[in-house]
Amino acid sequence: MIKEIFIVILLVAGCFFFLAGTLGLLRFPDLFSRLHALTNADNLGLGFIAAGIALYIASPWATVKIFFIWILTLLSSATSSYLIARFQREQEKSKNGKEE
Amino acid sequence: MDILIDSLLAILTIYLAFRCMLAPKLSKAVFVFFAFGLMLALAWIRLGAVDVAIAEAAIASGFIGVLMLDSLRDFSLIFSKNQERLEETASKIPVKKDSYHWTTGLALGLGLILFLLISIQAIWEVPQGGGLTAIAEANLPMSGVEHPVTAVLLNYRAYDTWLEIGVILMGLLAIFAAGGLKQYRKPGLAPAQDPLLRKTILIFTPVLFLFGAFLLYYGKMGPGGAFQAAVLWGAIGILLHLGGWPVFTFIPRRMRQILVTIGLGFFLILGFTQMATGGAFFEYPPAYAGFLILVVETLAAISIAAALTAIFAFLTK
Repeated sequence: MIKEIFIVILLVAGCFFFLAGTLGLLRFPDLFSRLHALTNADNLGLGFIAAGIALYIASPWATVKIFFIWILTLLSSATSSYLIARFQREQEKSKNGKEE
Repeated sequence: MDILIDSLLAILTIYLAFRCMLAPKLSKAVFVFFAFGLMLALAWIRLGAVDVAIAEAAIASGFIGVLMLDSLRDFSLIFSKNQERLEETASKIPVKKDSYHWTTGLALGLGLILFLLISIQAIWEVPQGGGLTAIAEANLPMSGVEHPVTAVLLNYRAYDTWLEIGVILMGLLAIFAAGGLKQYRKPGLAPAQDPLLRKTILIFTPVLFLFGAFLLYYGKMGPGGAFQAAVLWGAIGILLHLGGWPVFTFIPRRMRQILVTIGLGFFLILGFTQMATGGAFFEYPPAYAGFLILVVETLAAISIAAALTAIFAFLTK
């Protein structure tokens, strides 16, 4: 019973971060703040959901696998967000350079 | 609950397919295509076809998506360079409203309706009671593997799989023929200067290799196999190219040709060997079947991975 309550809390927390991230992605004004919203969803949302599912399956091997899925997603999403941000910054720089 | 998830998935898949086709901008279409591929993979999982789901996610959505993204970048580069000139020429061209004659639409529509009717009839005629599933499972002990899908792909219907590997090779040859080999010999991309990207790629390379090898071996017992493993290995090649290590162009030309064709070649030789000893085309002796299938799958995976890397390296030179 306690376990189920924990699972529900973790999953709801995960869904909340995904919702907040999606809202931010849709509503935030510029690319950098949108990326910020997106990484919240990816890191915390997926982390909570992964923790909830690991608790639900309750097998050590599955937990290890889910943990690796989370870590790899973190790694790839962080790098791709960084690359998108860098590309945007370089474009803005070259644009400003032209105007001056 | 299940029916809720399934209908949501069905609606989303069709909706995204429409959005992808009707997207006003190319970039939007490409990104919707990614989402569509994800939904399709989930649908295959819900149908219990995990093999197809992995292949769909990896090849249809992943690999083709990467190629689309890359062509998108090429388009945007061309466009930003020649934007003014393009707009100028575009304004001079008179817009033809009826560029497609109504007969074209009618023929297409009738063809689609005909195709739909034939498909419905084909589904109608599928034998009740599981079709060939019982026969496939009854012969599993003789096939050398424990997973029925792998048994069908690599043993019962090995000829089909052999042709599929051939199709990928043909695709590669067609791309070479269309683009000319000269440019291909130049080293690939300019070295990417970004240290973070390179570091991430270096972390991912062993993970992808290991997971590909696992999928390859696991195909014997469950979902996985040569094609799924090949995409992961091909992804290593693509990532290394993106990070500024054009691995495929460093390999000597003769070696590249061997890598790309070894899967198809070995498969064919194996098929004929059985004929020489009195068996049928692509019939394996049950005692060695498991080992032979593993060898064939490994070589096929290497060939497909090399072909995918080559396609990417060639298209993004």
